[in-house]
Amino acid sequence: MFKNEEMEINLGPQHPSTHGVLRVKLRLDGETITHCRPMIGYLHRGVEKICENQTFFQGQVWTDRMDYCSAVANNLGWAEANEKLFGITVPRRAQYIRTMLNEFNRLASHLIWLATHALDIGAMTVFLYAFREREDILDMNEAFCGSRLTTTAFRIGGLREDLPPGFEKLVKKFLAKFPSCIEEYENLLNENRIWKKRTIGVAKLSAEDAIALGITGPVLRAAGVPYDIRKAFPYAAYAEMNFDVPTRTEADTYARYLVRMDEMRQSARIIQQCMDGMPEGPVMAKLPKILKAEVNEVYHATEAPKGEIGYYLVGEKGSGNPYRFHVRAPGFINLQALPKMAEGGLIADIVAAIGTLDIVLGEIDR
Amino acid sequence: MSDETLPQPSESPEAPAGPYIYDYAASPQRQVVMPKTVPLPSLRTYEAEVKAAVAADEAKWQKMLADFETAKAKAEAEGKEAPKPPVRPVPRKDDNDLKTPWPQEAKDDDLHRLQERLGGKVEEIFEQAGELTCQVSKEAILEALQLCRQDIALNYEMLADQTATHYPAATGFAFSVVYHLTSISRRKRLRLRILVPEEFSPESACAVYPSANWMEREIYDMLGIRFANHPDMTRILCPEDWEGHPLRKDYPVVGWGQRDIAFREDRGGMLERIALQKAGQLGINLKQPKAE
Repeated sequence: MFKNEEMEINLGPQHPSTHGVLRVKLRLDGETITHCRPMIGYLHRGVEKICENQTFFQGQVWTDRMDYCSAVANNLGWAEANEKLFGITVPRRAQYIRTMLNEFNRLASHLIWLATHALDIGAMTVFLYAFREREDILDMNEAFCGSRLTTTAFRIGGLREDLPPGFEKLVKKFLAKFPSCIEEYENLLNENRIWKKRTIGVAKLSAEDAIALGITGPVLRAAGVPYDIRKAFPYAAYAEMNFDVPTRTEADTYARYLVRMDEMRQSARIIQQCMDGMPEGPVMAKLPKILKAEVNEVYHATEAPKGEIGYYLVGEKGSGNPYRFHVRAPGFINLQALPKMAEGGLIADIVAAIGTLDIVLGEIDR
Repeated sequence: MSDETLPQPSESPEAPAGPYIYDYAASPQRQVVMPKTVPLPSLRTYEAEVKAAVAADEAKWQKMLADFETAKAKAEAEGKEAPKPPVRPVPRKDDNDLKTPWPQEAKDDDLHRLQERLGGKVEEIFEQAGELTCQVSKEAILEALQLCRQDIALNYEMLADQTATHYPAATGFAFSVVYHLTSISRRKRLRLRILVPEEFSPESACAVYPSANWMEREIYDMLGIRFANHPDMTRILCPEDWEGHPLRKDYPVVGWGQRDIAFREDRGGMLERIALQKAGQLGINLKQPKAE
């Protein structure tokens, strides 16, 4: 009567918890996952090929559209990789503004992660609270560069324009209320019995496995490895900032949640320091109208909200296009850990595992 | 459109003239401009280039001097005024914040240690833009990776990124595969590089760094380099039945199919004609019946 055989099912590609179009092929023994294979590529647009056929400047709009939740962080990595390729020194004021916007972007990205992750697991209320604050950050994006999501915020060599008048007031208003907002989210979740049951001990990934699989970002830090590129290889104005790298040792979904919440507090701290120590001066380096590369290859990695985003560029002598444009997307590498995290667990927990990796398919497929 | 230019539906529907074949390769939008240079950063090439440039500059200057001497002698013989002596041109100084990072001699201890341990398998070491590059022979890549992972003095724990570049204009190799290693404990980065010819399968890095799994699948998908001893050498981003490898330089930017004919250029009804022709070969009459 009862057959003892494994069942194969597809999670996605059209599933609300897959954050885009991720398809996961699962083999189940009852409710336990015995085999898990993520299938990606549904959003592949050939960003690398397109950028190789455009000038150095034009690549930026494509970086916006990779990880659309953290466009500013993608722009920053892109701009700095190009500056490394050409050997450009960026004015100090531009570095500070970049750092500040990048931290705002980290907040926005973590907020959208918190909102959707909690929604996936079944906590509806946090979604509304988190989106309320995210809205303020998007308003600031709009005040700075005119667009809210796909920002195209920076230029090679600095910024297109200085901060708009009145921006300081917006930041002050935001910083005054944000710490209490984090407390609000934590009041809703930290001691929530359902939240704890669904996250504690779920989707564990040890530090050794995480390093072997190339995992970076909050997932690695929740396993106890204090690796943050802002500290390890400082870029922009991070060398002058005073902040901590929050880590946990439990390496489960709950630890990753706590790490991200602490990271938001540190981001607010960095923004405050940027505002206090904002230097005066120009925001754009002196550059020729047309940039022509020399033979050179650079790999520049920055700390995006989701992990290490790296740009690998190859320049051709006298050419205005990159000869090779490659993106090391944090989500692409982090998603490799999904089988390790999900196999042996329950099928309901794979939703938590996908959520805790904080993936955006636009960047995984590129 | 007159009736004569239209292909007529075939009279015998049981014998279609085979699948319709459009010469995509001849389509003007699919013409690929292949790169003519090999932009492979290397200290040796750079030094040779600088040497050649200095020599060319000197030769030009000597020629200018010789020309001046002959002109002077000629003017003296003819009793005219002597020409002005030439001025050696100075390179123009640009007033901007660009400072091109040129390849430099390797000073870092890690590179020297790699060279010491691997000996002749290291082809080149240099530094550029603050990044360390070590080029090893393509057969020794697994050994080099193992050394980087296990050697206490090197201790590169993480393979952060692995990718490849296509160099169709090069002789002796077709691709460069680069491995970006990160040492979390020592806060260092290192680039390993191999040059592989077409149809060569370099050893997979999965045995040393499991994170190479998807990255090597992506390289295979995008550039067509097959890695030996890889646990799952399948396409990852493109569908399994995809033809070609998109990041090769000979892969066109526009797609297959009717996008080849821009609609702006379709004033002559090209698309319609193709559809009719195709339908005719299949024995389908698509033509509208003429109004009486």
